[in-house]
Amino acid sequence: MNKNKLTNLKEDLKKNQIEIMLYPSRCDGCESEGFMACVKACETHMNEKYGSKYTGARINIKKKAGKFFPVICHNCEEAPCVDACMPGARYKDMETGWTITNYKKCVGCWMCVMSCPFGAIDRVEKDHFASKCDGCADEDTPKCVEVCKKGALKRIGIKNYSYERRLMVAKKIYGPYIKSNIKG
Amino acid sequence: MKYVIIGNSYAGLSCADAIRRFDKTGEVTIISDENYKAYARPLISYYLEGKTTDETIWYKDDDYYEKNSFKPMLGKKVISVDTAAKKVIIEDGTKIDYDKLFIGPGGVPFVPPTEGFNIESPMMGTFTKFDDAKKMKNAAKMAKNKEAIVVGGGLIGLKASEGLKALGLHVTIVELLPRVLGLALDEISGNITAKRLNENGIDTATGETVTKINLDASGNPVSVILKSGKELIADIVVVGVGVRPNVSFLEGSGVKIDRGIIVDKTMMTSVKDVYAGGDAVVIYDVINKRPNIIAIVPLACEEGRVAGTNMAGVYREYPGGMGLNAVEIYGLPIVTIGLTNPANDSQKVYMFQDDEKVYRKLVYDGEVLVGAILLGDIAGSGILSAIIRQGLKCLKYKDEFLNGNIYSFVIDNEFEIYNINEGYAIRGDFEDLPEFSRTNWR
Repeated sequence: MNKNKLTNLKEDLKKNQIEIMLYPSRCDGCESEGFMACVKACETHMNEKYGSKYTGARINIKKKAGKFFPVICHNCEEAPCVDACMPGARYKDMETGWTITNYKKCVGCWMCVMSCPFGAIDRVEKDHFASKCDGCADEDTPKCVEVCKKGALKRIGIKNYSYERRLMVAKKIYGPYIKSNIKG
Repeated sequence: MKYVIIGNSYAGLSCADAIRRFDKTGEVTIISDENYKAYARPLISYYLEGKTTDETIWYKDDDYYEKNSFKPMLGKKVISVDTAAKKVIIEDGTKIDYDKLFIGPGGVPFVPPTEGFNIESPMMGTFTKFDDAKKMKNAAKMAKNKEAIVVGGGLIGLKASEGLKALGLHVTIVELLPRVLGLALDEISGNITAKRLNENGIDTATGETVTKINLDASGNPVSVILKSGKELIADIVVVGVGVRPNVSFLEGSGVKIDRGIIVDKTMMTSVKDVYAGGDAVVIYDVINKRPNIIAIVPLACEEGRVAGTNMAGVYREYPGGMGLNAVEIYGLPIVTIGLTNPANDSQKVYMFQDDEKVYRKLVYDGEVLVGAILLGDIAGSGILSAIIRQGLKCLKYKDEFLNGNIYSFVIDNEFEIYNINEGYAIRGDFEDLPEFSRTNWR
């Protein structure tokens, strides 16, 4: 543990800010398995969490000519969707830092759908609300991250992240001589 | 430091939050002429429909003011501002000192001169405040013939008529322009919207105005006479033509006013230490490239935040905004962004229409997208508004946008930015990641 202190994920997660990181180049839409694991997992989890209303996956995978892109909330610092929310349903949670939604207040005015620069907010016609990822802040690991076997979605602390990126660059320049001790 | 904020709504509260972010100890007083804590003003129509209740209409949590140690002064009308002595004067004579002042007074409803219109009548009114909604709720119960006339086919008018319809009234919208939502929509989308309204029992009389309201002995409306001479039965008359900046109390304060309050890039007015934001200010319109009053919620929040940051002593500039709006009319979502009707010949229009279900329209100025209408299918409309606001060149994506494949732009662009396997970043810093997102957004 001491040896790998810098890249010890548990330590890092405990001490530093946690984010879900996105590596779109690793996403292949789980095509070989025939379904998108993260979307499925999110859908199941939301059903458990909310019961009958306010369900549906908060993550989506868009495809374009062989490229896959997981569309998910990027948790903007000064979020346009919070500014645009007329009923005050969407807010920044001060403890977790995530932009979350009080669906009881949502009336379906679609102002946030109109403002999200990532297109990460969905208009759900059936229950008439705007659904958005809440970062699974109350969970240990978000379900979508848990099931992603391709390494496209990762939960990572800042130390780990910066270390990983340095390694990536080094690897690109020096090729096979450098071995990463990070799995995934 | 003593901060005083006039206006207890989107701009004012966003300003207060920004002040609190940088100044934990400063004294913040929030003055409002309405005797309510902050409520979601545009939701008053949903209140009539019952989608929003007395419990959920409040904009912030119950303990919002105490938690942030803001001092609310509700039900106090500001009659003038003495900028020389740095005092705000309240109707009852109280004078409040300030070091920094924020003015977010919003708008007052504009009522075109109409014979017979009397705001005091319980069956007539405007539709911008919580009290207006409560008044209409009572009026609907008293209406004998269950007939209502809404003057104005803009957002306020449409939402008011939807609310009144939900209360069991038959509603007729009287609009001067040839279509509903005339400033935001074009002919095709306007017709689709009007048809949707008509199908749901709301009549539209476009190209018309109310010239006279006939009153009964107690001063309540009986019928209205239209410009064309037609007479319509009316128990309730609601005027929702639009709003004007609420700036009359600033007379003699030295704050420069030209239609709205004039502000600089830091949201400061012509008087030092007096800042302004919200529906009453003139800001730079990035689409039309001129100063303009843009009265929408997202911009009010942004302006308030920039003003509050500067008031707390941290320099920040506001780059300007653009008009955009989203509305749903009986299950038909409509998003309008930027310039929806081309202003000159150099701008090209591309359209896609699938019967009356889906309609998309893009307005290009050269290679730059300057405006869009999305009707029916609004998925990914936020991406378009980001593109339009930043003035990105995206002519080659026009066919994909028209076919509703708006995400393709994000996939192409973000793929480059996020793909760290290609690795050009050397220092791991979250903020230097996506050029397309986060801090660059404003």
